[in-house]
Amino acid sequence: MTNRFLSGLVLFFCLMPTAWAANPGARDAVRFGVLSYRPDPVIQTHYSLLADYLSRETGLSVQLLVLNQDDMNRALASNRIDVFLTNPSHFLVIRSERSLTGVLATLHREWAGQATGSLGGLMLTRAEREDINVLTDLKGKSIATPGMNYLGGFQAPALELWDAGVDVQRHNRMVHLGNHDRVIRAVLTGDTDAGFVRTGIYEELIRETPSLAGELKIINPQRLAGFPFAVSTRLYPEWPLVALPHVDSKIVRRLASALFALEADHPAAQAAGLAGFSPPADYQSVEQVARTLRIAPYDQAPRVTWVDVLNQYRVWVLTVAVLFALLVMTSLWLSRKKRQLATEERRQRELIGSWPQPMLMIRNGELVKCNRAAVELVRYTSEASLIGKGLSAFSPHSQPDGTSSLQKADALIRRVTTGEVAQSEWLFVHSDGSDVWVDMTLAPVYEHDQESPSILCSWYDITRRKYAEERQRLALRVFENAREAIFITDAHGVVMDINEAYSLITGRDHKVAVGSLPPMPMDEGSAILIAARKHGVWTGEFSSRHRDGHAIVLSLTLSSVFDEQGQLSHFVGVFSDVTQLKETEKQLRTMAHYDSLTGLPNRVLFSDRLQQSMAQARRQNYQLAVIYIDLDHFKPINDAFGHHAGDGLLVEVARRMRSTLREEDTLARLGGDEFAAIVVNVADQQTLEALLARLLTKIGDPVWVADHSVEVSASLGYTLYPQNAELDGDQLLRQADQAMYRAKREGKNRYCRFSDSGS
Amino acid sequence: MNRRQFLQLSVAALPALGLVGCSKSQPLKTGIHPWIGYESLYLADEFGWLPQTVELVKGQAASDSMTGLLAGELDAAALTLDEALRVFSSGVPLRVVAVTNVSVGADVLMAKPSITSLAGLRGRAVAAELSGVSGVMLFAVLERAGLSTNQVSIVDLPVNRHMEAWQSGEIDASVCYEPVASLLEQAGGTRLFDSSDVPDTIFDTLVVTEQAARRRSAAVKDLVLAHFRGKLHMVRSMHDAIYRVATRQGISPDAVRRSLATVMLPELAANQRYLAQHGRIEVVARRLAETLVSEGLMAEIPQYQRLCDSSFLPRSLT
Repeated sequence: MTNRFLSGLVLFFCLMPTAWAANPGARDAVRFGVLSYRPDPVIQTHYSLLADYLSRETGLSVQLLVLNQDDMNRALASNRIDVFLTNPSHFLVIRSERSLTGVLATLHREWAGQATGSLGGLMLTRAEREDINVLTDLKGKSIATPGMNYLGGFQAPALELWDAGVDVQRHNRMVHLGNHDRVIRAVLTGDTDAGFVRTGIYEELIRETPSLAGELKIINPQRLAGFPFAVSTRLYPEWPLVALPHVDSKIVRRLASALFALEADHPAAQAAGLAGFSPPADYQSVEQVARTLRIAPYDQAPRVTWVDVLNQYRVWVLTVAVLFALLVMTSLWLSRKKRQLATEERRQRELIGSWPQPMLMIRNGELVKCNRAAVELVRYTSEASLIGKGLSAFSPHSQPDGTSSLQKADALIRRVTTGEVAQSEWLFVHSDGSDVWVDMTLAPVYEHDQESPSILCSWYDITRRKYAEERQRLALRVFENAREAIFITDAHGVVMDINEAYSLITGRDHKVAVGSLPPMPMDEGSAILIAARKHGVWTGEFSSRHRDGHAIVLSLTLSSVFDEQGQLSHFVGVFSDVTQLKETEKQLRTMAHYDSLTGLPNRVLFSDRLQQSMAQARRQNYQLAVIYIDLDHFKPINDAFGHHAGDGLLVEVARRMRSTLREEDTLARLGGDEFAAIVVNVADQQTLEALLARLLTKIGDPVWVADHSVEVSASLGYTLYPQNAELDGDQLLRQADQAMYRAKREGKNRYCRFSDSGS
Repeated sequence: MNRRQFLQLSVAALPALGLVGCSKSQPLKTGIHPWIGYESLYLADEFGWLPQTVELVKGQAASDSMTGLLAGELDAAALTLDEALRVFSSGVPLRVVAVTNVSVGADVLMAKPSITSLAGLRGRAVAAELSGVSGVMLFAVLERAGLSTNQVSIVDLPVNRHMEAWQSGEIDASVCYEPVASLLEQAGGTRLFDSSDVPDTIFDTLVVTEQAARRRSAAVKDLVLAHFRGKLHMVRSMHDAIYRVATRQGISPDAVRRSLATVMLPELAANQRYLAQHGRIEVVARRLAETLVSEGLMAEIPQYQRLCDSSFLPRSLT
């Protein structure tokens, strides 16, 4: 840096007097700057003839100034040159710093008889570098270059490397050496791994030192027919010759015509290696390189405004904006949905949690979740005490149908896992040991991350129903098996249902009985329904008929049944067949009041009848007679023919006496061969005595007993009522008895009237 | 983000947006042969600007590309408009997706000095390659001269054999192009007529098969973009392009400069104009097809709704 500064300073002082002298003096002096891309003396030799040629052709004093880039920049800044020749990249930098009239002409070089208006870059390394062959090998290597603003010496190679994926400004150590000769030297001495030079330099140096050819190797050589130089890059237009704006247009014209007139075989052209000058080339491609590589003057990225982006990528921006808007809308919508879902889920969880019906979730045979009602049903303390247990943990060892709880639960879960919905009654045991019946429903719930479905299980407590069913079953059994007939009627007394006993007792089977009235007393009929309705119950016995016609006696209890509104809804009747009972009762009663042999009233009934007859006699004011009858000589017959014959005799005699007496009269057997009779409504003594005589005659008729005809007689005593004194029945009978004894004493087979005197 | 990265991102994003239906498969096989108008694609290939989706199938002449299209081996090709119509007529529906160049002097009528005007061609032997673009040029010449095909004696001869026919006196005139034209000129021929006299008539185009246009639009876009990138290099870095073209064609850089002068390389905007509905290409194609059919060089007029499709043109190159 210091060196360069010093040389610049020296140059400045060298030039100062000249410039100062030229400016005011010769107005037509033209200062011609040439970039020293090679060592200054070389350039000086090459171009001095050209300067002379121009001076001669234009009549101007053309003064050659060989300058490096920095010096040229300084000279330009102070307008100390009028026309200059430099490389295209440097030209772009200058052009960007000040407005130039533009390129006057583009230089054409000649080499080995071939002219070209194009230049390129050459990438060189030492021939023995085995490791550097292709572009990508240069990555990370140190590279010598004349400077950044050299097209062939930097930018053209850098672009090829850029395309190959190597950014020399980042990946490489670039050594800036100021001119091309130094680059070649650095490569040859091994100071750098590689070097960049412009096309033509290599050939010139080889012409000077032919041994170089073997020492250097070209990287990425291009095969371009008709191009005279070795090249590693694509080609760009050659150097421009530029006139500065302050130069008079007449001078520019004269210069241009001289330049274009220069022929390739002119000594000035020969010395400079030129083929001449052509009209200015298009330097767009050079600009493009600098833009791509972000090198001065395009090292600043253009300020891209939003409007530019919008203009360039309108469709994309619009698409992205629409997509973004959609995304935002979608995510908003999603988050709202998610919130709704969360609320919904919470509500559902609360609902299930507080739902009065027990609900549980079973996974792999174990409870994983349950609600409060489930915990309460099995009477555990908390949800946690249920989780992780199987159904059988709360069940008795075996279910009422005999299968073990464990097996039954497994079978149910297996069924549900295959996709069925299963329902079963289940018996649980409370923690306190009591039973609880549930109706259990199991349904599969498919969750997409689960292989087998979870099972949703709900319980419905049916314990009460179960007990009610039990009671009902018992009641039914009672109903069916009772010995008593039971029937149920509607509110009108029409039978709705009967049990079997009903059919047995009444002879009416279910079909016949239902729909008709139940057996009821003949006289009261449906009045009993009214009574039952009024009093709640009616009880009574009555005669009825079996379906086959025989009489039966029924004992019925009829109860009314009221519904919740107090309205009569049904009657329930229970009856039994008491026919047998009634018969027995009648027999017993007969046995108490009648003589079993003759069928005549006995003493008890006789007294009773006597009492009644006496009362009637008093009331109706008529007379009655009490007769005491005792058979004579009965004992000998009994002894002779046996008791059987005696009994037969008694029966026959009783029958004769009974038929002799009137219907309203009473004949009774008091015991043994003693009889008594009450004759009511006795008109007078004679009628009575005629009756007594008829009695004696009837008794005296022969009786066929035990194949023998026997004859008996009887002694009769009688008394009348009323008498003067008030008497009771016993006294009357005693009076008749006494009269009978008198008749016995007086010779039997006669009758005597009681008289007080007689006794 | 530079444009390249942005494009890569865009391309990566496109399938996600569901805008591109075609799957990544075989590259779009594109037939090409040496011609100054097609150099853009060669340059693109050389500089690596052709993406994986496009593969150049390099032939020696247009006939290679035409047989490739007819055999179903190619999905696209660089052809002159009349060549494209011939392929279409033979049963492979095509679409013109870009105009690579317009001939402005590349096709020439060289005549013996004794013939001083087009009317002088009457009754003379005129050589042309009827199966190629010089056939089309011949019809344009005759139309301009007001002559019918039976008023001249047409010698159907490949252009590269015109020189010997000229020297042996078999022909009096030749419809040809460089470099034969320059050779004939040196042999004393005069340039009586060239394609710059019939502007906007002889087109070189990029065509793709109907199938590729429908199913592989992304690859077709890549192909068209590569052409325009190559062309940009040709225009902007002509100093470089000339040497590269010269190297490939085996001629001098000056010859390349000369042949470049005989073609116009239409820009994007010009392409939009050419490919528009009822635009220049479709108009010329209809006329060309009628001529080719009436001259018996083509079996039938190709049936299509649209021949041109400008939808594959890039929006911009910056």
